[in-house]
Amino acid sequence: MSKLLSALENEVQIGALLFMTVVYTLRLIWIFRFKSGRERTTAAGSEAAGISYSLMNVAMPWAMESTRKRPWFYAQFVIFHLGVVAAITTTFIIPYAPALFKVKVVVRLFQVIIGAACLVGLLRFIRRLRNPTLRLISTADDYLSLALMILFFAAGVLAVPNEYRKAEWPIAIFFGLTAFFLIYVPFSKICHYLYYPFSRYFLGRTLGHRGAMPPGMKGKRTCLPSSPDGGGSR
Amino acid sequence: MKRRKAAVSGIADAPLDTRSQERARLDRIPSLAPDRLQTYDASADNVGRFLRLLGERITRPLAVSLTACVHCGLCADSCHYFLARPDDPTMTPVYKADQIRRIFKRHLDWTGRVVPWWVHAGSPQNDEDLNRLKNIVFGTCSACRRCTLNCPMGVDTGLLVRFTRGLLTEVGIVPEGVFNVSRDQWETGNQMAVTEEEYLETLQWMEDELRTEFGTPEVDIPVDRPDCDVLYTINPREVKFDPRSIANAARVFFVAGEKWTLPKWGWDQTNFGLFSGDDKLGAYVARNVYEAAERLRAKRIVISECGHGYRSTRWEGYNWAGYDQKVPTESVVVTLQRYLREGRIRVDPARNPDPVTFHDSCNIARSGDLVEEPRWVLRRVVTDFREMHPNRRENLCCTGGGGLLSMAEYRPLRLEVAKIKAEQLKATGAKLVCTMCHNCIDGLTDVIKHYKLEMKVVQVLDLVSNALVIPE
Repeated sequence: MSKLLSALENEVQIGALLFMTVVYTLRLIWIFRFKSGRERTTAAGSEAAGISYSLMNVAMPWAMESTRKRPWFYAQFVIFHLGVVAAITTTFIIPYAPALFKVKVVVRLFQVIIGAACLVGLLRFIRRLRNPTLRLISTADDYLSLALMILFFAAGVLAVPNEYRKAEWPIAIFFGLTAFFLIYVPFSKICHYLYYPFSRYFLGRTLGHRGAMPPGMKGKRTCLPSSPDGGGSR
Repeated sequence: MKRRKAAVSGIADAPLDTRSQERARLDRIPSLAPDRLQTYDASADNVGRFLRLLGERITRPLAVSLTACVHCGLCADSCHYFLARPDDPTMTPVYKADQIRRIFKRHLDWTGRVVPWWVHAGSPQNDEDLNRLKNIVFGTCSACRRCTLNCPMGVDTGLLVRFTRGLLTEVGIVPEGVFNVSRDQWETGNQMAVTEEEYLETLQWMEDELRTEFGTPEVDIPVDRPDCDVLYTINPREVKFDPRSIANAARVFFVAGEKWTLPKWGWDQTNFGLFSGDDKLGAYVARNVYEAAERLRAKRIVISECGHGYRSTRWEGYNWAGYDQKVPTESVVVTLQRYLREGRIRVDPARNPDPVTFHDSCNIARSGDLVEEPRWVLRRVVTDFREMHPNRRENLCCTGGGGLLSMAEYRPLRLEVAKIKAEQLKATGAKLVCTMCHNCIDGLTDVIKHYKLEMKVVQVLDLVSNALVIPE
């Protein structure tokens, strides 16, 4: 393995990861600097149940009309994000547990998942280009983030076998993109996963308190005490 | 995917009309004060004030809703505006929310501050831009929150729209109707400027009718009676246009043997602050009700059938007013359910033989907690109850929500997009559409008239009162 590839797999990744951690920490501090209110009404439902339901919403396509009516869209979402998990896992397996990719079944499994995610990414990119509604709201960041993900997945499919003796370039591209991602993500929409717990928490807390979420939980009062992280529409 | 040609509604270009505001200034009405009602001043730095307030007022839930959107577009089909105008991409919730999101990004979010063009960040340049924003947040959204419940990220677009409306209200860039109703509620304590004399006379009139009906002076509509179990609060629309709904409530209270009263002041449970985004007005109106309950030592506040009134008085008002809830606060439908459960009233459903469907008010079902209660009551007072689809928390707005009924300039678009609601109503085959919201009554009546449906709008209390078995 060349020194360049070794550095890309190790030092560069660690540096980029540290950078991302620092930026995310600053981002969290920024979010917590916004003021929050105190709930003054008595609960009709359960805040804890509302928060749990809201956070689990991502795994309940039947809970929202928007996903219930579009099973294929939801399936795409699942495939795409499984691909993300597989690709990120790959960035740790190759430098720290390369033996795992000596097993052919594992390699094929990762390639299938990441490859499917790459196809979904392409479909989503075409959708974004063709649909006037999405075109109107799409930013340069939206396009670049998706394009980079497609490239990342494509590079991932090639990198997973980890055959650096045959050719280093697929692995180098994959790790190069990973490092770039780690630096770019905190400034792009890709960091939505950082906000997801917050947005779902606030919605679940407000509607849970009112007994509107989850459906059928009204009357089971387990109002959380006022917490510094605030809540809902207060 | 089918390529669609964009056909923008043009509503964003509606001009700003400030005639009522000018009249109010000339008349020097008392509520024109820095901490109360604001008017538009063309010579002021309105953009600067708007941006300053944006920075000051933004809360954590708002900040998260502004940053979390991934532009997936999944919210589009949850909005009745977009469903009715699928060729107009400016009708999607995400587009509407992006109008405030871009300003937030430009001034408060780091990427937008450094490279605004990269994330569509931008700032309003003048009052025309603010007027355009006004037309979008007031004219193309009923803040029904259907998109909120359909967003995978939990982005609360309804909350963002209300927040933006509140900022615009502070610089007087609002539709005429919003200014007028806000002025009335600040000036008179109720949103239809009902005078105390008119209020008391109407109650007396209804009391006289009930006494004739029952043939006894024992039935009454008490005002400001202390130490009651129920403080009943109403919608000014009931005094102005539908006093029989007050009589219906009085009839049920009498038969149930309830110890109840209306307050002389603080009787308006509606709250235009919810629609205008003005938390100060919201706090003022809600506090009037809470203080009336405290003054009269009432054990419970009961809210007549009103969607936004229920949401404001039961949920938002306590927080706006910074007033810790002291007494139970409930909708009259919950009271009716309790009476039926406890056997305090008896009903005969055969008196309501027409097929009835139920329209869930957005503010009660999506932003509140009452979904099964009205159905529980209706199934006992009518013989043919049928659901509309979608229903409960997924129901479509009556299209008059968010204060839109008071904004004449947006009426053509409102009625155009109401075709979705009209189709939903028609499919039920019902003769009566029941709702527990006065705003929905007017919204649905508009839809029924415009689309020539053979339906009538009623409320739960109407049907209960009609089915009520009067003891010998």
